[in-house]
Amino acid sequence: MDKILRIDMGADGGPKTSSVPLGQYAGFGGRAMTSAIVSKEVPPLCHPLGAENKLVIAPGLLSGTASAMSGRISVGGKSPLTGGIKEANSGGQPSQVLARLGYAAIVLEGKPKNDDLYKVFINKDGVKISVDNSLKMLPNYDLVAKMKAEYGDKISCISIGPAGEMRMASATVAFTDMELRPTRHAGRGGLGAVMGSKGVKAIVLDDTGMPMRAPKDPEKFKAANKRFVDGLKGHAVTGQGLPAYGTNVLTNILNEVGGYPTYNFKQGRFDGASKISGETQAETEKTRGANPTHGCHRGCVIQCSGTYNDKDGHYLTKQPEYETVWAHGGNCGISDLDKIAMMDFLDDNYGIDTIEMGATIAVAMDAGLAEFGDADAAIQMIHEVGKGTHLGRIFGGGAAATGKAYGVERVPVVKGQAMPAYDPRAVQGIGVTYATSPMGADHTAGYAVAQNVLKVGGDVNALKPEGQVELSRNLQIATAAIDSTGMCLFIAFAVLDQPDTFQALLDLLNSFYGMNLTGDGVTDLGKKVLSMERDFNARAGFTSKQDRLPEYFKSEKFAPHNVTFGVKDEDLDKVFNW
Amino acid sequence: MDIKDIESYPHIAFDMDGPLVSHFFLLLQQGVTIRSRTGCSVAAFLREEIGADGETIGKIQSVILDGSPVDDLESAVIKDGSVLALSAAMPGLVGATLRRGGTYSSFRSAITYHETQEKCVKGEGLIQIKIFNLLMAELGPGLLKKGVVIGSEDFILFTTGQSRDFWKVCRGITLDGKPLGAGELPDSARLSGKGQVFLSVSSDKAGA
Repeated sequence: MDKILRIDMGADGGPKTSSVPLGQYAGFGGRAMTSAIVSKEVPPLCHPLGAENKLVIAPGLLSGTASAMSGRISVGGKSPLTGGIKEANSGGQPSQVLARLGYAAIVLEGKPKNDDLYKVFINKDGVKISVDNSLKMLPNYDLVAKMKAEYGDKISCISIGPAGEMRMASATVAFTDMELRPTRHAGRGGLGAVMGSKGVKAIVLDDTGMPMRAPKDPEKFKAANKRFVDGLKGHAVTGQGLPAYGTNVLTNILNEVGGYPTYNFKQGRFDGASKISGETQAETEKTRGANPTHGCHRGCVIQCSGTYNDKDGHYLTKQPEYETVWAHGGNCGISDLDKIAMMDFLDDNYGIDTIEMGATIAVAMDAGLAEFGDADAAIQMIHEVGKGTHLGRIFGGGAAATGKAYGVERVPVVKGQAMPAYDPRAVQGIGVTYATSPMGADHTAGYAVAQNVLKVGGDVNALKPEGQVELSRNLQIATAAIDSTGMCLFIAFAVLDQPDTFQALLDLLNSFYGMNLTGDGVTDLGKKVLSMERDFNARAGFTSKQDRLPEYFKSEKFAPHNVTFGVKDEDLDKVFNW
Repeated sequence: MDIKDIESYPHIAFDMDGPLVSHFFLLLQQGVTIRSRTGCSVAAFLREEIGADGETIGKIQSVILDGSPVDDLESAVIKDGSVLALSAAMPGLVGATLRRGGTYSSFRSAITYHETQEKCVKGEGLIQIKIFNLLMAELGPGLLKKGVVIGSEDFILFTTGQSRDFWKVCRGITLDGKPLGAGELPDSARLSGKGQVFLSVSSDKAGA
């Protein structure tokens, strides 16, 4: 993984590829790589769909190795949804495959001079780019089937659906899973539209003949990996809760504490929660012969994913995640798990972010376009997006665009990006992260690693009001660092509770690269990534005004606790003071 | 619902062959009502009313009393009409936030449980208990064997929604001690006209 593949889609005579050394980007992976390239090379004031924007796809530092959980891949660029820098990451197979092919990043640059659609094929022999207009407007599942027929079943795919081709601000970049299904997505921020603007429909990867990446110190690496896996398997969340129920296990408890945004963030409890909970979902999957315990990439030991079958026992979609079930479920007043699973499939197939789409449907319901709870109407709205009807183009622009089009005040977005499944009035600390993350409202932006392990920013008194700001800062720093390793963020639960598991992670990195990284080094990396991202956004015109929740979160009381968001603006402005 | 009425509810008892919790889990996550002493701490309730030992209490990482996360099990008091929800450790930052006494508890300080009752009123009352995720298998069998009160319509919905496999492992059903056919359950559940049934479930492999 010692080179970067640059593809100039706007070159004279057609796309041109160049394989270049890492240079100034040496030592970066995942989010650190995407944010470094974007902040350095993309003019912050450029149009996100213009030739000057770049789409960067980067595996993590340990991707392609024997390390467990190392299969995340980051996608970066200037976001059509937020107008700021964006990193969205995904599971799936391509991260491992791309890393074994030796690439630390693929950078799509420029813009084609006509409407041709391209596919890119990469294997051990090199890179081949060809026009294939037969792929136009193919949904992701059909596209992957076609690539499989053409290149065989040893491939993995990175692709966009019709939403990406139509350059919608909610479009995703899809990644295939172990079964060669396009179920994993870099969902947030509309980066699928950037890929669409480059005229690239699919990147097909085949690592046949390429060995696993070898560590500098194999013995230490093997020992560290064992400790790391033992730590994950021994922890109650990563070893039991997630494998049994997946992320949707959160529905019941969020609902119980009144923090489950329902009916477009109007209240914190949904009467139908138990019908769509992770417990119900897992039982439904088992009853129908599906599998509630499944990894999204080889080398995953947590196995929080799964498959979801229809009533006749046929595969319908992957196990919908908590955020998806919430977005299309409680937030829209829908309690039919089969209909929610169908929406998950449609989102994956058309290439739409499930969180953004669910939030958009709820805003549309608030505007009176359908009744809350009308699942068939919600499904129809997704079809509108996939078909690119006039209405679908508005929905595909996301919750903020839909709110503007229909004059809705209650639009739960920050920096134009829809909030995920945790109401910031009930859990105010996460509101600090929603408000201040350079990415827009993002539940994964401040997620990983406790300060009691890393001591990021010194000791924090979490009981003081300002403790929420300090904790959010520390979490965002740690998360930025984890996102750069290519490790699944879910390792954070075990790392958070078990210092030895955190040390095993450091040992994995150190034994692989021959480094001597410490907790302080991890902190420095996280700060560096966030600083690059904040700097890009500042140059793009962002000020503290963008680091705010919508005003109604400060005034509308949220039942059942009747709370409003109480963190002061001046405290939000202190998050990045380090 | 009044505590005095419990005796008058139809008592429907299931005798199941094999693991039963997965069949009854929907009822536990929706919430069931039990008769319990009140005026005691959550910790005492878990130990003495639910039968949770120290190891099990250690697995109960999130305790929600009347919609609010509890940090101190010894100071939070169970009252007549309380709603208590129990969960094992949950994923995600918010999952960590909701853990009792966790590092991130300040993130949800706006909704954290604070005991206001200065003097404990000891007595007996009805408590609604909800059990989520991994704890269902841990605590469910004991609760179901002891018996729980649930709404008649919820019970009918539950039984009519069961597959053939469920009835295969059902060795017997009784209504107030007399054998009952599965087809008679809906009418029997509505017998009292009070909208509730008292349900108990026993099983060889339930561990109860």
